[in-house]
Amino acid sequence: MASAVLRIEDVSVKRGRLFTLEHISLSLTAGRTLAVVGESGAGKSTLIAAVLGLVRPASGTISWNNAPVHHCRPALVMQEPRAGFNPALSIRQTVMEPVVASGKPISADILEQLCGQLELPVDLLNRRPGEISIGQAQRASIIRALIAAPPLILFDEPLSALDAVTQKQTAQLIAELQKAYGFAALIVTHDLGYAAAYGDEIAVLRAGRIEEVTSPREFVSAPGTNYGCQLRDAAIELGALEQTV
Amino acid sequence: MRSVITLTILFIVLAVVGPLLAPHDPTAINIPHRLSAPGDEWLLGTDALGRDILSRLLYGARWSLGLAFLISVIGLCIGTLFGLIAALGGKTADWLVMRTTDTFLAFPELVAAVVIAGVLGAGTGSLIFALCVTGWMRYCRVARGVGLTLKTRGYVIQAKLAGMSALSIARWHYLPALLPSLAVVWTGMFARAILGISALGFLGFGVQPPMPEWGTMLLEARLHMRSTPLQMIWPGLAVVMCVLAINLAGDALRDALAKENNAV
Amino acid sequence: MINIVLGLLLRTAVVLTGTAVATFTLLWLAPGDPALAVAMARYDSIVSTEIIDLVRAEAGFDAGFWPAFRAWVFPLLSGDFGRSAVTGRPVLPDLLSAIAYTVPLALAGLAIGLLISLPLAIIATRNPGGLLDRFAVAIASLGTAIPAYWLGLLLILLFAVKLAWLPAMGTRTPLHILLPALTLGLGVAASLTRIIRSGILEARTQSFLPAFKRRGVIDSTIGKDHIAPHAAIPVITVLGLELAFLLEGAVMVEVIFSRPGLGSFLVNAVEARDFPQVQAVVIVAALLFVTINLLIDLIYRVIDPRIGESNA
Repeated sequence: MASAVLRIEDVSVKRGRLFTLEHISLSLTAGRTLAVVGESGAGKSTLIAAVLGLVRPASGTISWNNAPVHHCRPALVMQEPRAGFNPALSIRQTVMEPVVASGKPISADILEQLCGQLELPVDLLNRRPGEISIGQAQRASIIRALIAAPPLILFDEPLSALDAVTQKQTAQLIAELQKAYGFAALIVTHDLGYAAAYGDEIAVLRAGRIEEVTSPREFVSAPGTNYGCQLRDAAIELGALEQTV
Repeated sequence: MRSVITLTILFIVLAVVGPLLAPHDPTAINIPHRLSAPGDEWLLGTDALGRDILSRLLYGARWSLGLAFLISVIGLCIGTLFGLIAALGGKTADWLVMRTTDTFLAFPELVAAVVIAGVLGAGTGSLIFALCVTGWMRYCRVARGVGLTLKTRGYVIQAKLAGMSALSIARWHYLPALLPSLAVVWTGMFARAILGISALGFLGFGVQPPMPEWGTMLLEARLHMRSTPLQMIWPGLAVVMCVLAINLAGDALRDALAKENNAV
Repeated sequence: MINIVLGLLLRTAVVLTGTAVATFTLLWLAPGDPALAVAMARYDSIVSTEIIDLVRAEAGFDAGFWPAFRAWVFPLLSGDFGRSAVTGRPVLPDLLSAIAYTVPLALAGLAIGLLISLPLAIIATRNPGGLLDRFAVAIASLGTAIPAYWLGLLLILLFAVKLAWLPAMGTRTPLHILLPALTLGLGVAASLTRIIRSGILEARTQSFLPAFKRRGVIDSTIGKDHIAPHAAIPVITVLGLELAFLLEGAVMVEVIFSRPGLGSFLVNAVEARDFPQVQAVVIVAALLFVTINLLIDLIYRVIDPRIGESNA
């Protein structure tokens, strides 16, 4: 059986009279990572919303395994980790939501195993979102994303709310978890260094259009477009590409 | 929140226990002792038919407070439901619900209540219906407002993505956030319902005699204002005390919530 | 701006249509045979079926909902409220004379309310949290809890029965308006005091005011040019709400003081089940209400253009 694929075909999204995405075509195979980079306002969040079905595209289709994406119950890891947790509920309650919703029984040790992998003390789950750190909240939201074992997880700027040390740890953690659980990851980020280090492919999004789709190595050595060059040079100046080059 | 809960319990106790404390049968007619002054036998005196006013007041608590409670809770349910439909049901649903709300708000409350209760025929059922029809719009607006802000919250989006049913999302994410604001509205509407019931009673469209409702008692007492003015004081005083207590509790609740919001 | 105004007008039209349909539906669905009720009210005795049928045809009750609705609503657009089902006289003149009694009462009530609440709120906010302030707040809270009908009865008891200073019932002399207006005005004063007070306090906490003070702008200028506009918005809102209060208060006050007016007109019409009259009062009240709210909305947008951008 051919492995499942996320296909975004010729998708345009309109907001009011303006196009926020125009003729986007991308694909992502199960178990691999697609990193979409772009500046703020390029349409990254709209892309995520479109894939998740929160925004209806004006034209084009988005499918997972030739079926609507929501059938596979994709998970989302958000930029602001605390926002994903209801301040009135315990972390555990929110983390278990995907399991409760799926109606499938799940053994308690999966939660414990995940907590172990993410180095999150289990008793932290009984606290409220206001009582844990942002780094802990981000790890909890990754647990939540993983707990029902979805084949596709979307990451919306997963590192930008974290400090430098935690950023590195979290990036590695996501890569390790991906190896272990085999989900496809669509990572949207403005951090070219992160995209180049962990993406199997990089798509450059600018003003609602895809400028190019390449491998990280190729992108770093020879970007296909002027805009790609500018992005790369700016990133090199900031020292963001050290690990890849 | 605590003040409101305390008050609610107090009123429920009053409505339940009140009649047990009543020294006389509230409907027992005693013509020889009609319109007697307050004294040992009748602590607050008797009315035109010789019925004990204190007993009627205590039984009346059941009507006034109990009905007001019922009406305000029905309004709460209807309003919250419509408000959430407006907030979550998409643009068309929102427009429809909001224009319906505007339409109902276009009638002055008491005028509409008088017409509805009067046209449907005097009686407790019409009274409840009239005050429910005129009393759900505030809840609706508040629920819609809160619902609209919650809709875009991360945890609500996450719950939706996880495939939680609409019912559990409403139960776990909307209700807890809605409750405090709705509680503030509820205290206001509870007080208004008490006033509305007694106003309709006073106009003769409410609870029908011989049931001892405070507004109806006032209507009867009014006829004997010159000879026994005290008879008219008691039911009014009862209404004022209840409404005042509820309003103060509502104010306290609102202040507490404002403080909490500032702290976060 | 034009779009906003057009939007408001459209919304008002929708709401008015809704009120007409709602009113008519209620009366249409009312229990009992309206024709019988009218016939009984008109002839005041047991009536034959022929007369009932006659009344039914005359009032258009036999035509079905929509024809009857149309027969009512189209003349309404040209100001024809139909004829009273009981007396057979046109509704409009009676309604207008009722309004002519209610408007002075409402205005007098509003004037008394403002006369009490404005000075009280201003004095109270001189020293927020002080003795006077707390006294004003307490009085206002008590005032909002007192139902108009009880207050009216108490005033009658005090001024007309015990002291015999003022007349209470009817409208024979101009003095007769004093007690009813006072009843209305005290209720208005209670809620206005609260709102004006918090409006002034809120405006004072605006961050630009200390800066003005430091620059030496004199107090009276600050009060006039900067605090007043900020306090004005809530006051305008409240005046809109007060209109509701005045209308509702008028119903009760007119009944208590046996005054003619919209309130008595309404209560009598409902008791007689005179549906054309009931419909007329309700529609006029709704029209008044909706128009005032429309005006308030427009004034808001003139005072503070930010309002209305957020709520669609």
